[in-house]
Amino acid sequence: MSVPIPDSVDYVLLDEATIQRRVQEVADKISADYEGIRNEDFLLVGVLKGSFIFMADLSRRLTVPHRVDFIALSSYEDSTEATGAVRLIMDTRTDVAGRHVLIVEDILDTGYTLRYLYRLFGARGPASLRTAVLLTKPDRREVDVPIHYVGFSIPDVWVVGYGLDFSDRFRTLPFIGALKPRVYEK
Amino acid sequence: MSMLDDVQRVLISEEGLHTGIDAVAGEMNAVYSDEDFPILVCILKGAFMFLADLTRRLTFRHELDFMEISSYGKGTTSSGAVRILLDLAANIEGRHVVIVEDIVDTGHTLDYILRNFASRNPASVRVATLLNKPSRREIEVPVDYSGFEIPNEFVIGYGLDYAEQYRNLPFIGVLKPEVYEQEPEDRVKAVPVSRGGLSVDHGRAVPIGPDLR
Repeated sequence: MSVPIPDSVDYVLLDEATIQRRVQEVADKISADYEGIRNEDFLLVGVLKGSFIFMADLSRRLTVPHRVDFIALSSYEDSTEATGAVRLIMDTRTDVAGRHVLIVEDILDTGYTLRYLYRLFGARGPASLRTAVLLTKPDRREVDVPIHYVGFSIPDVWVVGYGLDFSDRFRTLPFIGALKPRVYEK
Repeated sequence: MSMLDDVQRVLISEEGLHTGIDAVAGEMNAVYSDEDFPILVCILKGAFMFLADLTRRLTFRHELDFMEISSYGKGTTSSGAVRILLDLAANIEGRHVVIVEDIVDTGHTLDYILRNFASRNPASVRVATLLNKPSRREIEVPVDYSGFEIPNEFVIGYGLDYAEQYRNLPFIGVLKPEVYEQEPEDRVKAVPVSRGGLSVDHGRAVPIGPDLR
């Protein structure tokens, strides 16, 4: 039962096995860095919708106990990507004060969204604050934001799958593919 | 590792889970097509891991959405009413909907969600759950796709928690009764009043089956 590659996908950038191998490595690093931590002190915060698959695979590979929480964001209709203004649709249910917080994101692009989250949680008095991103596109970066754990550095192509979408499509592919330019240029 | 020390036994192994999810995905792949373009609604937090593995096995085009709910105070009310913390981003009017749950227990929460969705006039609504505990059912609810039917035991792992612990275990385990029967002071502090996106009554420490004694 293998999922077919849609016509809109130009090529597979990262196949399933490659992603899984790398997520394991990232998880091992995080487990080592947070060794000995108590469940109630360590909070992973996933950003919906994009990061939920990365969160699911990362979380179950961690050998250290932790809580899992999600937040949902939306952009303002009249805002461009460049301003980075986002609306918090759903906040975390867990109080982050005094906890070690790890923000889990699917992709780091311009950096505006992650910077917003970093500031949001930083202002709430966490014991520590780190970020884990599956993908980073350094060519697209416009603002500096600290990344502590990263899966893959990728070129500036439109990627879909493994949680990443194009207009809510292709999010559920088990691999990461590059979208054909004709799909997003029209 | 302390997380594993609290597990009495493994109920469904990681491999077992994947076999069960393959079967659920196979059933859904036989029913839905690209033209249906159904929307899968994940009930947070409990179902996120199931959804992550299910969605990657589906061969038809589909959309994902998320809903996070919380009970009012402790336990379930007879109406099953829950507070919607995060509503659907999509309008489901005229759409085929599949509710994705980690566990169906008494059925009250699911029944409430089904009635709530029905008022939005979807084309169809079906339910896919990883775990089904029919022995606990208090209200009849349709379960269209079910991974595993399980006995009335306190299960954790693969998205299911007890007091926000054990969600990340890659298997379904049975929690040792002493973990939830005695609550030392520090554990009580860690217990949130409202529960995660599980079937709201799942985490209650009562009643326990005689087989746990």
